[in-house]
Amino acid sequence: MSKRLKALVWLTSLLITAGTVVLIVVSIVVTDDHPLSTLSPVGRQGRDIAELINPIFIVAGVVFFLVQGAVLALWWRYRVAGSDSGDGEFGYYDDDEFPEQTHGNNRLEIAWTIVPTVLLAVISVFTLVALFALDDVKASDEDVVVTVIGQQWWWEYQYHLDGNTDSPPDFVTANELVIPVGVDIALDIKSRDVIHSFWIPKLNGKRDAVPGRSHDWVIQADEPGRFRGQCTEFCGLSHGYMKMVAVALPTAEFAQWRDNQITSADIPQEGTPAGDGWATFSQQCANCHVINGVTSAANRGGDPESAPDSWDIYGEFNGPSAGTYTDELVAGAAPNLTHLMTRGTFAGSAFDLYLNAGDHVPYLNLADQATLNRSELEAWIYNAPERKPADADDLRGMPARTGLSPTDIDNVVAFLSTLD
Amino acid sequence: MTVTDRTITAPEETLALPAGPAIAHRPLGVFTRPQGSEGWRSWLFTVDHKRIGIMYGAAALFFFLVGGAEALFIRLQLATPNGSVIGAGTYNGVFTMHGVTMVFLVIMPMAAAFANYLLPLQVGARDVAFPRLNAFSFWCFLAGGMLLTSSILVGGWFQNAPDGGWFAYAPNTGLLFSPSKGIDFYAVGLQILGIASLVSAINLIVTVLNMRTPGMSFFRMPVLTWMLLITQFLLLFALPVITVALFLLMFDRLWDANFFNVEAGADPLLWQHLFWIFGHPEVYILILPAFGIVSEIIPTFSRKPLFGYHFMVASGIAIGFMGWGVWAHHMFTSGVGPLSVAAFSVSTMFIAVPTGVKILNWLATMYRGRLRFTTPMLYAVGVVSMFTIGGLSGVTHSIAPSDTQQTDTYYIVAHFHYVIFGGALLGLFGGFYYWWPKAFGYKLNEGWGKASFWVMLIGFNFTFGPMHILGLQGMSRRIATYRADEGFALWNMVATISSFVIALGVLMFFWNVYVSTRNWKRAGRPDVGPDPWDARGLEWMTASPVPEHNFDEDIEVDRLDHFWHRKYGKDENGRIVRAAPTSEIAHDGSNTNVHLPSPSYWPIVLGGGILLVGYGIIYNLWLAAAGLVFLVASIYGWILEPADDPDAAGHHDDHGDDHGGDDHGDPDSNGGPSGNGESATADEPAETEEATVG
Repeated sequence: MSKRLKALVWLTSLLITAGTVVLIVVSIVVTDDHPLSTLSPVGRQGRDIAELINPIFIVAGVVFFLVQGAVLALWWRYRVAGSDSGDGEFGYYDDDEFPEQTHGNNRLEIAWTIVPTVLLAVISVFTLVALFALDDVKASDEDVVVTVIGQQWWWEYQYHLDGNTDSPPDFVTANELVIPVGVDIALDIKSRDVIHSFWIPKLNGKRDAVPGRSHDWVIQADEPGRFRGQCTEFCGLSHGYMKMVAVALPTAEFAQWRDNQITSADIPQEGTPAGDGWATFSQQCANCHVINGVTSAANRGGDPESAPDSWDIYGEFNGPSAGTYTDELVAGAAPNLTHLMTRGTFAGSAFDLYLNAGDHVPYLNLADQATLNRSELEAWIYNAPERKPADADDLRGMPARTGLSPTDIDNVVAFLSTLD
Repeated sequence: MTVTDRTITAPEETLALPAGPAIAHRPLGVFTRPQGSEGWRSWLFTVDHKRIGIMYGAAALFFFLVGGAEALFIRLQLATPNGSVIGAGTYNGVFTMHGVTMVFLVIMPMAAAFANYLLPLQVGARDVAFPRLNAFSFWCFLAGGMLLTSSILVGGWFQNAPDGGWFAYAPNTGLLFSPSKGIDFYAVGLQILGIASLVSAINLIVTVLNMRTPGMSFFRMPVLTWMLLITQFLLLFALPVITVALFLLMFDRLWDANFFNVEAGADPLLWQHLFWIFGHPEVYILILPAFGIVSEIIPTFSRKPLFGYHFMVASGIAIGFMGWGVWAHHMFTSGVGPLSVAAFSVSTMFIAVPTGVKILNWLATMYRGRLRFTTPMLYAVGVVSMFTIGGLSGVTHSIAPSDTQQTDTYYIVAHFHYVIFGGALLGLFGGFYYWWPKAFGYKLNEGWGKASFWVMLIGFNFTFGPMHILGLQGMSRRIATYRADEGFALWNMVATISSFVIALGVLMFFWNVYVSTRNWKRAGRPDVGPDPWDARGLEWMTASPVPEHNFDEDIEVDRLDHFWHRKYGKDENGRIVRAAPTSEIAHDGSNTNVHLPSPSYWPIVLGGGILLVGYGIIYNLWLAAAGLVFLVASIYGWILEPADDPDAAGHHDDHGDDHGGDDHGDPDSNGGPSGNGESATADEPAETEEATVG
């Protein structure tokens, strides 16, 4: 076998190997059912982004194979064998054969400056068109606008059903952002403490939540479903546990969900487990957690100033101050729990609230309490920092309640179960 | 073959310094200069650029082990879903320290090692422009590195380590959100490292601009010298920006300033702009020295000159300039507005062009070459191959809409590891193998070298390759753990296993150093010769290891790759033939009559003073005040110490009089044909030789 043929065989087999690897990777990528995948968008914006980048991935892949192929080809074609001792008569080489001493070629240099420039210029045109198209989204006044507020380490959603973010929100929820399917929903992204980033990969790219700033963003889902998200700007200790879910419901179901969310909760009857739970809750939890119609500034010790204040230092709504709507709706250091049982996850979406619940079940208040993830919920109430790291001493994260007896915790869970 | 028609023998009377007033040898009676070049003490007080370079390299390798261990802890924590190996708090400290260590304590000082060792040699100088200042740079760097690394240990394991990410975004790094001492260590440590880099940058810029040997015009400088020069300019302009940012952060944390206090009206994007105006040029600070190294290695082992030398230099300069106009691509999701995003998106795209030019020129150098795949060549070609991957993923980031999906995911982690590990670190390791015989007089073992390269390369690709997939599948950066149902388990496990393969490759490198040294000593320390690879640069034109005085006489350079053209010429048929044996061309280091700068106590003392001030700022201002007194006193010591120790044995008083300070000008300026060159160093004018070349 001539040297050349040998090199050819080597090259071919290498390319085949590389091709196989690429095929494996591509098959993994294409058939992926990863809940946070950017590769299988379900929303208009996510799809626009994918349609922009996928051809560029292909171009990059072609360049990749050209360069790597060139490296391998040069390797096999121009490699000279010899001892590695370096004791050759002519320095490292064993002979005095020199290749042609080419110093350069201006035409080539100009060519390989201009060709990539033109290629990138074309790509930049597509990029700019897509960029401004994605940015050019304004919700009309009547549409729902959700103020999304990041804080360590969960998300608050304030729903403005009339689209007016200057007026009080109609209701406030946490961690699970419920939207009607097929509609562009405008988001107004803010932060109460450090920088976070709101990201539902299947629907759209991410947008930072920067304290003191308000960022417009938009998401849309083509079909009903639960779409997972993750805070993607490092935000301190429990950053990894700061997740969220966007839930797209069919229009009619969204209306049903919305009508339920507007309602307030009721104080349970005294003497029942739920009633005892409420008593414990109002002592231990109501300082930070709001439940519309049940807690108020008065419940939180009566003195708004006694409420923790490290969490709202940068918030538009500066936390509990007696006599404003924020008292009733906007949670303090902790999520508003008015309709806790209509959510699929809790604690910054770090844990599932129901096990094996169907996709739409909790949102429409249809969840079977038997599927409640009771052990996780109880463990969370008993010692939250152990389940999800927190600087609870600095009021960043939920403090442990290890003083509570198992009965107390059962009762609190019984009370929470009424929040549907 | 005579290559020069000009001797640079200057008239004797212009060489001797004019007699000036004698300066007391021992002002205050205590200031003398240390003596000798043997033993550990001579390393502490050395001002020799080569020893300083070696110490930079050794320190960088030590910190590389620290940063590498941190990387392994990251991988262990992420190996499985709901990982609990080190926990979220420690994890945040570990990944922050991993990034800070690898950027500031590994890649930058490794590049500084090559810059210190090679830059004066490549331009044919005796030493750097300011030798004592050079020693100070190293000790200051070591002080900053020790201070930063000590944060891992003080007050408990990772209790006071920086935990805000290497980018330390405000306001998460404010006292309210990061109450430990970690960010103070970060701010003070980087500040000290900044001083070291800044001083070194000025020193090396002056060295290249003023101290090139006669005939060494700018376009006769090796590409490595060019890339290092560009790097120093980037440092010179980038470091002040991070210095300002770190001062603001330090004032916020220590003295209740409000630069990043949103409640008081601050915009946290201020930090992001300042950090990335520094941070993006920093990326080129990391990669350009490796580009230079690759540009030295590939021609040597292709037996061809570098293809498109001028374009390689120009593309390096272009990268240096364009690197200032792309910083906001780190901020595509920060809310800087669509117009800014569009501008930075386009500028970022086009920075790929000069980088692509480099890749293609390397390939063109190899084309029709006689390629010898020695260990350095393997690393260099590894850079060409791996950096291309990082460069291509970099282009995909510049597509701003798509970057909103990719930023802060593992896709980015994959990208910059392909650039910084696959580009910078592989290049620097290639440099270790390539210049090891020059610095130590023996080669590292080729067998172990090649094995270690392949192990490292395979481990590298299976660690960071899968991270592209993880990122596109939605795995975020800097998360301490992930849920089991997010589908990240498989590739994380692959990455973790492979990271230990990298570690094995690195250990094989250290083993190679041990084995090669041992074998060389057992063999009776054979001489490797001045030019073991048949290379092209001036550094190969003197003995290995390089004698303290570098060259026996000034070299007059008449073209690019001067040394190679002294070795080879063309016969009447145009065929390349040996013109002269290397032994006749290269200097053997036998000239003992060369005046060298004396060692000095003060650079290391001054570094110690800075360390005290650093800890003082973090813990107790009285300590800082004491450190400041110490520091000022050592500056006075520095100023007052004599240029030589008159009592030193073997001292030859060729100045007629001792003169104070290092930095007096050289009255004798023998510019080269280009008019750019100044002879030897300002410190050590080539007084003793009658330099005749040819």
